[in-house]
Amino acid sequence: MTTTEHPGATAAPPVGTTVLQTVDVAVHYGGIKAVDGIDLTLESGRILGILGPNGSGKSTLLGAITRLVPLTRGRVLLDGGDYSRTPASRLAHRGIARTFQTVRLLPDLTVLENVQLGADLRLDRASRWRELVRRAVSAPVAEAIERTGVGDVLDLRPGELSYGTARRVEIARALAGRPRVLMLDEPTAGMNQPERIEVAALLRRLRDEGLTQLLVEHDVQMMVDTCDRLLAMNQGRHVAEGAPGDVVRDPTVQEAYLGKRWNRAADQ
Amino acid sequence: MAQDVLNALTLGSLYLLFALGMSLAWGTIGILNFAHGSIFMFAAFTAHLVSEEVALPMPAMIGLGVLIGAAMSVLIQVLAFEPIQRRARDHRKAELQIIVGGIGIAIIPLAIAQRITKSVPFGYSGGTFRVTTYDLGFVRVSNIQLVILVAALGLAGLIGWWLRAARPGLALRAIGVDSEVATMMGVDRRRLALLTMAVAGALAGLAGVLLTYYLGSIAPESGDAFLLKAFAAIILGGVGSIAGVVVGAMVLAGVETVVLVNTDGSWTPAIAFALIFLMLLVRPNGLFGRQEVRRT
Amino acid sequence: MNTWWLSNQILIQSTFISLLLALSIQVPLRAGVFSFAGIGSYAIGAYTAAILTIRAQVAPVVAIGAGVLLAAVVGYLLALLVARLSGLYLGMATISFTLFLGVLATNGGDLTGGATGLFGALSTLTTEHVIAITVVVLVLLAASERGSFGRRVDAVREDPQLAVSLGVDVVRVRRRVFVVSGALGACAGGMNTLLRTTVSPETVGFHLVVTALTIIIVGGAMSWAGAAIGAVIFTWLPSILQFVGEWQLLVYGIVVAIAAVYVPGGLLGLLQEGWRRMRRRGRRLPAEGAVAQTQAAAAVDPEKELAALAAPTTEVRP
Repeated sequence: MTTTEHPGATAAPPVGTTVLQTVDVAVHYGGIKAVDGIDLTLESGRILGILGPNGSGKSTLLGAITRLVPLTRGRVLLDGGDYSRTPASRLAHRGIARTFQTVRLLPDLTVLENVQLGADLRLDRASRWRELVRRAVSAPVAEAIERTGVGDVLDLRPGELSYGTARRVEIARALAGRPRVLMLDEPTAGMNQPERIEVAALLRRLRDEGLTQLLVEHDVQMMVDTCDRLLAMNQGRHVAEGAPGDVVRDPTVQEAYLGKRWNRAADQ
Repeated sequence: MAQDVLNALTLGSLYLLFALGMSLAWGTIGILNFAHGSIFMFAAFTAHLVSEEVALPMPAMIGLGVLIGAAMSVLIQVLAFEPIQRRARDHRKAELQIIVGGIGIAIIPLAIAQRITKSVPFGYSGGTFRVTTYDLGFVRVSNIQLVILVAALGLAGLIGWWLRAARPGLALRAIGVDSEVATMMGVDRRRLALLTMAVAGALAGLAGVLLTYYLGSIAPESGDAFLLKAFAAIILGGVGSIAGVVVGAMVLAGVETVVLVNTDGSWTPAIAFALIFLMLLVRPNGLFGRQEVRRT
Repeated sequence: MNTWWLSNQILIQSTFISLLLALSIQVPLRAGVFSFAGIGSYAIGAYTAAILTIRAQVAPVVAIGAGVLLAAVVGYLLALLVARLSGLYLGMATISFTLFLGVLATNGGDLTGGATGLFGALSTLTTEHVIAITVVVLVLLAASERGSFGRRVDAVREDPQLAVSLGVDVVRVRRRVFVVSGALGACAGGMNTLLRTTVSPETVGFHLVVTALTIIIVGGAMSWAGAAIGAVIFTWLPSILQFVGEWQLLVYGIVVAIAAVYVPGGLLGLLQEGWRRMRRRGRRLPAEGAVAQTQAAAAVDPEKELAALAAPTTEVRP
């Protein structure tokens, strides 16, 4: 399927089509089973949340899906095709973008350059040249900046940003590549409440425009508000899955690590 | 044959004394000191200068070399490596800067020694100690060879025991595994680092004085050659492993001696380089090295 | 030609050659690859040029070109060999490779002239040629430091994993860097041999590692411009430092040590930092802590930011 090379140009599949799938994925480090037999399905135009306490294997699972962490067992499928032998760098070209648990902006580049980095893989020879000579900002970059509201800080360096702003720059970088699947690893960690609400609203809007998302978080309220579906993990294993309200009310999930108070959050 | 074995053992012991301190600092506090060779040479050189003025016996000369070596090493740690580790953005950057800083610093003692000696080798003819050789029939052994063998193996054993059994030694190993956790457990990282550097410098000074006695004289440039041999010994055995550095030093000296005895010797310098290269390709952690336990 | 040009030929030549040599270390370093293989390539280029010129009397462009090609191939193979290594270990492996080549040259018999080396590599290479080649190299490197390509190399250095997730083939970048480094080193070595008409194991030894490293550390490791500053300083410093006479090496050591410890960005880093501060002052942003600036900016304009977040997008996401 050649069109996957330029997902920006393909027509979005109808909402609910399976885009990405993991089958019995496991990642073991020596005797430690960080991820152990996870099946998940990412449907187009929906947000799947992975919920779990610290150390439950969420980030490792995300690493396995993005091929940065080698699989011990299982398969990962994109558009029905197994990509567990595809080099990780090819995934970005097939329209998968991600952020990391910690802020990972390049300290010596400006905010603008950091965002541009996300779009670089899409640049053809001509626009590369335009950018080099005229320092033009390409349309996807401008759009990503506008959507995340980082336009005021473009000339600053990451070290000069507040934590919440730095995280938004990372989302901008991921969006600048015009991905069709966006994976976010705790995007609102360290943000204050208004910032969280903004980000949640942005993610929902992106979803409504057809962007498929995988969201890893431990802020349960945000997950309930944002996701279409939740998958709960504990100690690397699948605990529960379904509509957000059902998952957080699931007694196993609550008993395992959520605590009773999230019952109320889900009812709101 | 027996003579060759003894000579190889002596050479290996000298490599060992030199490499021991480097390996200790590298494996525990993560400092690969490129100025180690300079410390080694300059300690021997200072002892030479003093012996020109006062005729000292061997123990005093050794004491002097040990003190100078320890002092220089601590000074470099305080003036250069500590500021680098404090300011560097991350572990990788600090590592690189420490190497470059070490290379720069190494030039300073070398320049001073070259200037004073006009690059002529120096020795301890001013001291009271004289090398005497005993003929045991099957092998000839000198008094200085005995000192070198006993010092090297004794100190390697002592440091190995200290790292395993003594409290500061255990703390030091903890730093080598995970410095953050070690700090949380109340280990005073700075003091231990200074202690480690002092021990490393003292060993370099000791090796310098003993080498000068053994060879009769050394040149200011001898430090660089030893530095590369020490790398080979450390890489061969595995960074941070005392048993590894003992084996690495002896194997290197053994192979070098075999080649030297059987050829015209022009390939001898290549052995260390070839060993480093091959070892890194085949088994980067060395014969005795632990797996990298550092988390990302 | 004016007299200054004529009387300083040697220094002018060695400025450009040491610049190319330094770049053979700087290019990998910029991609986060701590490799000294460029110095080994210098030896490859130097000996190839000498052998071809003496034995086959080929044109300088062929003699140097052959060395560049050979070193590029060797660089590629080396990159495959050391693919698993990084950081310090990579540095050690490549230093060993470089020093091993020195011993190889000593033991090369008639081909390399043994310990005395090769003499009489006469050619038509001139200072102007050297400058022209260096300028072309600098233009190419300067372009590679800007725009999309430059950013992606920055990403490979600072955060390889992030670079991979952004679609950069880090392994391929690293291999290319070895090839470029080899070509640069060999070019410097070949030109130097033809200008001096001679090469020996001593001229390709460990001291070149120190020279190249000091040039980029003092000048600044993150750009070709830093290497250029460093090359000028370390080529001309000795003639300026004549008044310190025999203590010259000592001054050299102190400069390098101070630069390495206290000025990690080199002189270029200092200049850039100063320039950035001046521009910022020009824009009249508050002078206090930078974090405060951003927070202030965010506090002043929360509405605008919210508006930006909430703005309906005109573009239809496909």
